[in-house]
Amino acid sequence: MIPEAGHLSLIFAMVLSFLVGFVPLLDLFLKKSTFGNFLRPISLFHSFLILSSFLCLVYSFYLDDFSVAYIANNSNTNLPVYYKLAATWGAHEGSLLLWISCLSIWFLAYMSFTKGNENNLVKISYIVINQIIFSFIAFTLFTSNPFARILPISPIEGADLNPLLQDFAFTIHPPLLYLGYSGLAIPFATAIGALVSGNIDAVWSRHTRPWAQLSCAFLTLGIGLGSWWAYYELGWGGWWFWDPVENAAFVPWLITVALLHSLIITEKRGLFRNWSLFLCILAFATSLLGTFLVRSGILTSVHAFALDPERGVFILGIFSYFIFGSSIIYFLKNLKIDAKSNYELFSKEFGFLLNNLLLVILAISILFGTLFPLFYEAFNNGDQISVGAPYYEILIVPFVFFLSILQGVGLYLGWNNTKNFSFLGRLLIVTFTLMLIVSLFVYISFGNINKEIILPIFLFSWIFSGTLIDKIVSSSTKETLNFLLQRSGVILSHLGTAIMIIGIGVVSIFSVENEVILEPGQKYQMEDTTFEFINVEEMKAQNYISTIGLLEVSEPKRSFKLVAEKRYYPASNQIMTEAGIYPTLKQDYYVTLGDNIQGTKWSFRLLIKPFVRFIWLGCLFISFGIFISIYLNFRKRNV
Amino acid sequence: MHPLRKQRIYIISTIFIGISLAVFLVLKGLSTNINLFYTPTQINENLVEKGVVFRAGGMVKVGSIKRHQDSLLISFEVTDFKETLVVFYEGILPDLFSENAGVVVKGKLNDKGIFFAEEVLAKHDENYMPPEVAKMLKEE
Repeated sequence: MIPEAGHLSLIFAMVLSFLVGFVPLLDLFLKKSTFGNFLRPISLFHSFLILSSFLCLVYSFYLDDFSVAYIANNSNTNLPVYYKLAATWGAHEGSLLLWISCLSIWFLAYMSFTKGNENNLVKISYIVINQIIFSFIAFTLFTSNPFARILPISPIEGADLNPLLQDFAFTIHPPLLYLGYSGLAIPFATAIGALVSGNIDAVWSRHTRPWAQLSCAFLTLGIGLGSWWAYYELGWGGWWFWDPVENAAFVPWLITVALLHSLIITEKRGLFRNWSLFLCILAFATSLLGTFLVRSGILTSVHAFALDPERGVFILGIFSYFIFGSSIIYFLKNLKIDAKSNYELFSKEFGFLLNNLLLVILAISILFGTLFPLFYEAFNNGDQISVGAPYYEILIVPFVFFLSILQGVGLYLGWNNTKNFSFLGRLLIVTFTLMLIVSLFVYISFGNINKEIILPIFLFSWIFSGTLIDKIVSSSTKETLNFLLQRSGVILSHLGTAIMIIGIGVVSIFSVENEVILEPGQKYQMEDTTFEFINVEEMKAQNYISTIGLLEVSEPKRSFKLVAEKRYYPASNQIMTEAGIYPTLKQDYYVTLGDNIQGTKWSFRLLIKPFVRFIWLGCLFISFGIFISIYLNFRKRNV
Repeated sequence: MHPLRKQRIYIISTIFIGISLAVFLVLKGLSTNINLFYTPTQINENLVEKGVVFRAGGMVKVGSIKRHQDSLLISFEVTDFKETLVVFYEGILPDLFSENAGVVVKGKLNDKGIFFAEEVLAKHDENYMPPEVAKMLKEE
């Protein structure tokens, strides 16, 4: 009965969201507020229906109801309870429902700050969100219903959750990422509201900024977590693969970061209003495009779900409706004249403009590389190509360079014009001092220093000096404290990017990797670290059989044991490698077990990954910075 | 000059420089980093130049996986059910690599026409097949 309850709730929610997604539009023509008054109560009601539908699915997973096809395909009685619950979003159907639920949570949050009929801006926003909810529920119910039953003969046992996904980071990666993706619907909706109602002003910008910030923070966490998961779960020791689906998340992230900055200008100076609106639409468009790329399986990717052209066509329909619809509204209704301001080349305004330009052009170039195989195939008689990771590496380095330079001076630039450039000399001195210290530290840690590492060290020092250290050095304690209290959000986020840059630089340049064959007792020396293979044992766990390779790792300061596993999951007949990782802030020791070569000989992949933790630490900094910034703005407004 | 006009010149030249930079980098990136996909049949028809990195794919032929006893060298045959390609690879294979499963390999033919893979990508779950392979099989 429970799956039916969930199914029915979802159908009701679809009907209700359809009603409040279209009927209140009549208000605009009738110039009355008859239907607008129903917007909030009905929206509240169907949001709860959606969440209960989601809980019904989770509970059915808990009960191992294998008469539901989706559960039979993605769960198993032997699965630990925790993973049974997380299996709800382990494949296409359930993750769509999760997407809709995340949007409902945002909608509920948005409703708690608005009444729904106070003005046309909010009214239209409600309508747009309802339309998005409606189209995604329709997509779920018509092409990928998670509640579909296998009757009358239901399987006794389920097929199991993909072993790759039986993991802690996976269980929270999709919810965080989807909170980020679906959260972009709110700025999109308010942008349409602003365009239709004509209230494109600082009030709109203030109204929209926290939602864009929340999305951005969750996207950062979601992407960071995905990267961390890929690092330890896929067993290759890489943390970013330039896979189409990663790009599909990275592109909206870049656009959202541009949007955050552009909204500041719109709020404070009344400038870039059309541009901010455009970015709201673009951010949501790229997040929909990402959804389309993942779900239709048209690109080769580790994330691709099984192919189903019907789904692709449906999402393409949704995508076209929202994108063409919003573009038409945008071109008809955008402000023909922007506010006038005489800002000069060296001004905060121009700095923000550059920042936005770089972020958006970078995003579009990455998107171009991601979609290029599709264009190529279409124009070359179906010949297929792939675009390799070096493409993206060539592309991103110069952009990150310029963006980092901007970050370092951003806080010093004045509105309209920068009159005093005396900070520059001081900033350079602080930067070079910091560079020397960091270089020395890198030299002591890794025993060498080379040309390539200079750039990341410079960018790190530049951002650190420009956002924090120079301020501390040059102002009084009281000023510094004030600065820290007021700007802690932006400081943390910008430092996060610096930490990430140094992490990426060091791990790309100083990583060591070797694939070796070892016999028990045999040692292998890498840098000043010795890996000794002890033995291999078999072990049985709740839902898998594990082959465990034990290694003793010794380096000058310490020695420890590493366990590299190979798990066999009988339910799905799959093998999974579990890397053995000994993490330290300085470097990770990383071992994966390969195959049994002959007798007692096994192959191993041995890696030392210096500073790799800094990448995810940077992500944490960025998102916590954004959360703090939301809180500070909120408090400032309510004082 | 009128300040607004000056501003406009700044903005337009910045956009122009930004886009030129992107176009330059995109072209540079694409000129060296795109890999064509070939089927074993196309490879055996000598459509591929030696020394050029490309991708090939198909199913791993049952019973074709051979392992060298003292090194990580491994060889296997990839088939599109018409022709087969012998692939050599040195290293640890991905977990989901197995007989009769879809695989995509990236590498090049050496002087003697033997294919050495730099990278082996196996499918990531049992329902999923690389689109190139799925398309190839559908065309049969």
